[in-house]
Amino acid sequence: MNEMGKEFIFGITRIISEPIKIKNLLIDLIQSATFEILLILPTSNAFLRKNRIGVMQILKKMTEDNPKLLARILTPTNNIVDKIIKTVLVNNYDGNGTKIDIKSIEETSEITINTVTIIVIDRKISLVIEKEDDAKEDFMEAIGSATYSSSRPTVLSYISIFQILWNESKLFEKLKTHDKMQKEFINIASHEMKTPVQAILGYIELFNEYPDTNNKIMDAIFRNAIRLQKLTQDILDVTKIESNTLILHKESFNLNEKIRSVLEDFNKGIQANSYNKNDHFVNIVYKTKLLEKDILIYADKIRVYQVISNLLNNAIKCMHKTKGGNITISTIENKKDNKVTVGIKDEGTGIDSEIMPNLFNKFVSKSENGMGLGLFISKSIIEAHGGNIWAENNLYNDERGSTFFFSLPLF
Amino acid sequence: MSYINNIKKIFLVDDEYDLAMLFKLGLELEGFIVDMFVDPLAALSFFKNDYSSYDLALLDIKMPNLNGYELCNEMVKIHNKIKICFITAFDVQKEDLQTIPIDPNSILILHKPISIKFMIQRLKEQKDSIR
Repeated sequence: MNEMGKEFIFGITRIISEPIKIKNLLIDLIQSATFEILLILPTSNAFLRKNRIGVMQILKKMTEDNPKLLARILTPTNNIVDKIIKTVLVNNYDGNGTKIDIKSIEETSEITINTVTIIVIDRKISLVIEKEDDAKEDFMEAIGSATYSSSRPTVLSYISIFQILWNESKLFEKLKTHDKMQKEFINIASHEMKTPVQAILGYIELFNEYPDTNNKIMDAIFRNAIRLQKLTQDILDVTKIESNTLILHKESFNLNEKIRSVLEDFNKGIQANSYNKNDHFVNIVYKTKLLEKDILIYADKIRVYQVISNLLNNAIKCMHKTKGGNITISTIENKKDNKVTVGIKDEGTGIDSEIMPNLFNKFVSKSENGMGLGLFISKSIIEAHGGNIWAENNLYNDERGSTFFFSLPLF
Repeated sequence: MSYINNIKKIFLVDDEYDLAMLFKLGLELEGFIVDMFVDPLAALSFFKNDYSSYDLALLDIKMPNLNGYELCNEMVKIHNKIKICFITAFDVQKEDLQTIPIDPNSILILHKPISIKFMIQRLKEQKDSIR
């Protein structure tokens, strides 16, 4: 059996001490890669040294020439490294996504390797280069000796080291994003809550001092207490959704009946935000186009009420400007998917095309009185039931306004 | 009529109707004259046409279309003798007011939620000599 054959079966591990041989081997190995390159760099300077000997350029060219080749790099970063990554390595031109995936190693990490460069080619060859003097700018002056291996157990161990660090980096990114979102949420929530609190405390203060103005004051206090309650409930719901602890208490019931009972409440002014700015009362007529028969679904009654209520409230709010009109609620059976679709159609101002893609995200469709959580919560509820929720503008027949739809599985 | 350090007529802008009414009511019961606006653009438009009678502008910061800082800048261009007071749920400090072309020390910042009594006391403390 020849040398190559032996190497392939048994694998060899070899130490190389001459810097020029190490450099040439590094570049040869990269250029020989067919489907995968894994690279860990110990310091930002190591990244820069590799860049100076052309490693990054070669990586870019390799991945551009061979669409099957995927390179993953773990590296500490600084401003200069970031710049190089953005200009040299990131492929902005084709829509196929980047074939070079780079994650930064956080300096604050507990698990870190800052003494060697590790490269694994096609899961079968590893080269580990010692870093002797990080202060040196030249690659060959900075390195010590290197260990080349094509021995399976050795190569596999480096692959697992890479994978552990890679996963840690992903988790850290997730954590940072999550932290940022939490902070934003708390800021917005606490800001929003100050308004009804101010109203309640302020009006009570006036109530005691000036009894003549009591009626108006009591109304305002009541309104704002309800508003505060809704805010806190929304915040709680979002918290449950985000932590995956939203529990549904499902039972079988008639959806038509539930819709009728929501409309009854709205007609009585119980659920609707009946406080109207500048005393303009909004003239709403509720129309129904419900299926004749009973529609049985297996769902959480209270949560379904919540969704219908949220969509109706939104419809009313967007009809403030158009001074009233019709809200039509309809149900359609989709026998093929075994689902029922509910539509809530308003004659309001319609949905902005800018908002449309983010309509069901948090804080997007902020009304005067809300944090913009209603649709986010509704979406989570419907999807938790295995249904879908979507919206469109009423463009047919030159109608104005929009229609919100949600579907639920039939029982 | 209440003359508290020459503050007689107040120009109030807050996009939250209930709060604007609250402050208006509270201040009027103390003897101030208060003109209230919930739309900052409409407020600015009105102010352009009739600015000289106002002694103090009481402004919310977070408003749609035109925020409190922007409104303040525009108003000061029109009537530079008007006193400015921000009333906001944000944690605004004097340092955040750098972009406004008036001495930040002469601007009063009140944080919501605030008691009406306290608000009036702070307004009373505003000295004429600062502006």
